[in-house]
Amino acid sequence: MIRYENVGKIFSGDFVALEDVNLQIEKGEFVSVIGHSGAGKSTLLKLLYAEEQPTSGQVLFDGRDLATIKKRHLPYYRRNIGTVFQDFKLLSEKTVFRNVSYALEVIGKTSQEINEEVPEILDIVGLADKMEKYPNQLSGGERQKVSLARALIHRPAVIVADEPTGNLDPNSSWDIIKLLVKINDLGTTVILATHDREVVDKLNKRVVVLEKGKIVSDCKKGKYVC
Amino acid sequence: MLKEKFLKLGRTFKEGLNNFFYNFWLSFATVSILALSLYVVSATALLGITGNSIVNNIKNNINISIYLNPDVSTEDVDLIRQEITNISDVASVDFVSNDQALDNFINNTGDDPVILDAIKEIGDNPLFSSLVVTAKDSAKYDGIASSIEKSSFTDKINSVNYTRNKEDIDKINVAVEDAGKAGIILGGIFILISVLITFNTIRLSMYSRKQEFEIMRLVGASNMYIQMPMIFEGILYGFFGSLIALALLPLTTKFVSSLAGRIISQESLHAFYFQYLWMISGAVLAFGILLGVISSFIAIRRYLKI
Repeated sequence: MIRYENVGKIFSGDFVALEDVNLQIEKGEFVSVIGHSGAGKSTLLKLLYAEEQPTSGQVLFDGRDLATIKKRHLPYYRRNIGTVFQDFKLLSEKTVFRNVSYALEVIGKTSQEINEEVPEILDIVGLADKMEKYPNQLSGGERQKVSLARALIHRPAVIVADEPTGNLDPNSSWDIIKLLVKINDLGTTVILATHDREVVDKLNKRVVVLEKGKIVSDCKKGKYVC
Repeated sequence: MLKEKFLKLGRTFKEGLNNFFYNFWLSFATVSILALSLYVVSATALLGITGNSIVNNIKNNINISIYLNPDVSTEDVDLIRQEITNISDVASVDFVSNDQALDNFINNTGDDPVILDAIKEIGDNPLFSSLVVTAKDSAKYDGIASSIEKSSFTDKINSVNYTRNKEDIDKINVAVEDAGKAGIILGGIFILISVLITFNTIRLSMYSRKQEFEIMRLVGASNMYIQMPMIFEGILYGFFGSLIALALLPLTTKFVSSLAGRIISQESLHAFYFQYLWMISGAVLAFGILLGVISSFIAIRRYLKI
């Protein structure tokens, strides 16, 4: 489903973020990408949701080279991929409901569709009773759940989570991870970038280790040190 | 599909409206400078149009009047008339007898008793008979005048009154052209400033919505959807700027007309404005909106990463 073929990424100032990365992820997989800060985890994910383009090699999604997607078609491609970040990226002046519905508004869904779909997804993440709250009235874990609900609203094929537990206490972190596992069980591919050892060890799923932009190990059922 | 497009259009318009009112004073300043620029440009254009119509009006009334000596016989008049008609570019030659000239004069002065008394006092008709020459083209009068000066009947002419008219026309022409040039330069400067200011305002509102753009991109909003609110914002600046300019214009035309009315009675800028009210309003609105949209495009092209 997702293939990185000899991918390299060099940022201006000759900073090598990724070097000769080869990686294949199948549909329905749960993959944790681990490594220290600056190892290239975020860059690896950004290439997948086409926020960055590789300097060399190619990234393929369902056999299609992302570099061949025209700029104006990129938004439609991005609807295949839900994204979750460490800083939640919520709009503080919008309620929980509006933060999620926003993702449907921008693609032209009707108010009726929005009123049906948003409560459903908020129910899945356990925030049905907090729809009218604002982000600053929620805990960190709850905010991340809103962000997850927004990522799921398009029913994407892949969820990309970049350090989603980075700002959360262990309990909330585990709540989010459990939700990701639940989503994965329902058939969505999940790629989780993290450096949370405890989370990775508990998951006992595939682990890809990045070091200085290179993949140094790839274990099917791995622990933090596989 | 069409419903989806309308929904998106409505939503982006609402966003544009929000941007417009988000920072009211900044929007107010932007609209004011746009209004000022549109006002300067349209007032200049209106003055230019009226100035040109005054010049054209005068040009159409130009002719060469050849005043003949009182002793010239009717046969001589016919011969002279024939000779002038043969000069190229002459459209017509009309004979005005001294009696006719006197009648015209009395009519034009509106039976002023003082003048009538004065004429009675003289006893005789003090005016000369004349030949009134009109050219096919107002630019040809110089040539015709010099041909008349070189003609065989110069000894029968008392005077030719062409030169004086010519100087007046040249003066008006120069004044209209100078005013036009000054208007274009001033208007150009104002437009440049207003586009720069509008563009900067839109850039600021883009900056305050930076995170929103990032999220929009991530949730798959099309590029058009992200750009439309800024385009609408530009349209709103142009629209309100035009409305203010249009509200100021009739005050100016009224003022200018009351000034100009003392000099030239037949042309009124104010009347012209109301005669073409819809056309002028449409043009000013279209131009204002165009300026707003251009400013938006510059801001989008330079600062919006998609």
